[in-house]
Amino acid sequence: MKPLFKNTTGIGALPAITGLLVVVLLFLFPRFVENTYALHIMILIFISIVMGSSWNLLGGYTGQYSVGHCAYFGMGAYTTMMLMQFRQIPPWLGIWCGMVAALVVALIIGSICFRLRGPYFVLASIAVAEILRVSALNLKNITNGAEGILTTEIPPLKIGGALITDFSSKVPFYYAGLVFVLLVILVTWLLQNSKLGYYFQAIREDQDAAHSLGISLTFYKNVALSLSAVLTSLAGSLYAVYVGFIDPSTVLALDLSVQIVLICIIGGIGTIFGPVIGALVLVPLSEALRSNMIGESLINSGIVKADSAFGSFLTENLSHAHVLIYGVLVVVVILFMPDGVLGFAKALAARKRKEVV
Amino acid sequence: MAILEIKHVSKFFGGLSANSDVSFEIQHGMIMGLIGPNGAGKTTLFNCITGYYPPSKGDVVFDGRSMHGLQPDKVCKLGMARTWQKVRPLAKMSVVDNVMVGALCRTGSLKIARDMAMEQLKVVGLEHRSGFLAGGLPIGERKKLEVARVLATQPKLLLLDEVMGGLNPAESEDIIQLILAIKGLGITQMVIEHDMKTIMRISDRIVVLNSGEKLAEGSPQEIVSNPDVVAAYLGSE
Repeated sequence: MKPLFKNTTGIGALPAITGLLVVVLLFLFPRFVENTYALHIMILIFISIVMGSSWNLLGGYTGQYSVGHCAYFGMGAYTTMMLMQFRQIPPWLGIWCGMVAALVVALIIGSICFRLRGPYFVLASIAVAEILRVSALNLKNITNGAEGILTTEIPPLKIGGALITDFSSKVPFYYAGLVFVLLVILVTWLLQNSKLGYYFQAIREDQDAAHSLGISLTFYKNVALSLSAVLTSLAGSLYAVYVGFIDPSTVLALDLSVQIVLICIIGGIGTIFGPVIGALVLVPLSEALRSNMIGESLINSGIVKADSAFGSFLTENLSHAHVLIYGVLVVVVILFMPDGVLGFAKALAARKRKEVV
Repeated sequence: MAILEIKHVSKFFGGLSANSDVSFEIQHGMIMGLIGPNGAGKTTLFNCITGYYPPSKGDVVFDGRSMHGLQPDKVCKLGMARTWQKVRPLAKMSVVDNVMVGALCRTGSLKIARDMAMEQLKVVGLEHRSGFLAGGLPIGERKKLEVARVLATQPKLLLLDEVMGGLNPAESEDIIQLILAIKGLGITQMVIEHDMKTIMRISDRIVVLNSGEKLAEGSPQEIVSNPDVVAAYLGSE
């Protein structure tokens, strides 16, 4: 049994300063780094953090494992893109409509699926997401079906005649992503220090006990889902406008839902920075594997000869197996770090502290 | 006026009747003991009273108000709180956070809830454990935590389901003192307990259930000398 030295009312000086420094550095990042690939990776990380943190509110804090979160991601993506392409409504207005659309879907899904518990809720959440995917695929006159929606032009953002940005570079997307990340972290932090957060966690720990302590299960589960859905739609909208192309198999796919859950499981479920760590691990890892960065760097640095058997294995075979390697690595992490990277690091730090004492 | 009236409550699970036509009243400020052999329907009756099961027949009137169709959270807000036979700590939350969840039933402020929680932890004698994870407590302290948590919801009527089950004699004595202290606070209690000596000592009145039916009701003295009760527990000659 170990006591918790948790300071819930304030933040220590050191973490506060470090956090502020990181935020300032992130805001200055595009000024110093003009490498578009680096910016691209950062934006992908931001989108992952936003969707992971949003899921975390429902899955991590409230204990309701939705494996159909692509539904809300897709609602955001589709609403924003359809309004922009077919109705000429700029994305910074479309995003709000995407949030409303995600909220409506969440309220419908919540009122039906929260009658179910545990694994049955998981299955229902998958089923609902599949319904949306199939609908998007078949409602061709609204969604373009399997062809998807391709952006032709993003209207420039102007405030009172002054041009803010014309979205010609990656920088505006970088800042939008960063702001969204700060928003979801702020929401999570506020939640952790509020009655709502206590009630969410009580529901996660024991539904029946929570119910007997005056907590309305249906109400608070729906609040959690709505909050989570609205924030997830932000990630979807940003992704859609940034990439410029969506179709049902990318933004409404089960793969995406699993990816969202993995970000949290790898990082550490039910913590503020778990999804941040998860995204920081998973996005670069999958990018490195996809572009075969590891194999090439081994060859380029001369450790492995390019014309040797192992070298050709790396370039020829391994580059095609990136999904397989990714899967194996994920399994290994889950096996050896059941509380995620963050939980593992905390346990390690606690052990070190004990050794010092 | 009685704080709780149980009027002809029956509960059927398919063809099986767990409670049939149970009626009794609990007066303000008293400790009502609820006893009966295993499977007599004591916990089912608790579940019917607190909204976990809707009674198949009959009604429960708390503080002059019918509980018909109310969910457990509403029942708790109205001032009737229960503990669980199998303790249900919110394992990954600290002890004080557990009690705060109860206190938040009455306030929206974490600060006030924390003060209320610390107060209740003092009542049960767990204030030195406030920062520990609830999941790491030994059974005796978990039972106390359970009581502190429901006390924090500021109940008028407390239903304790075997709070002494699985405890050693010293721990049981702690809980007995706690129950008497809660009575001193003016909170009415209904207690399910298996240990006869204990229930005779703390109860003002006792209801005996057997096979889902009310077998007897009366003061502890009346109950021990009731031949039906003796027969139900020891078997008739």
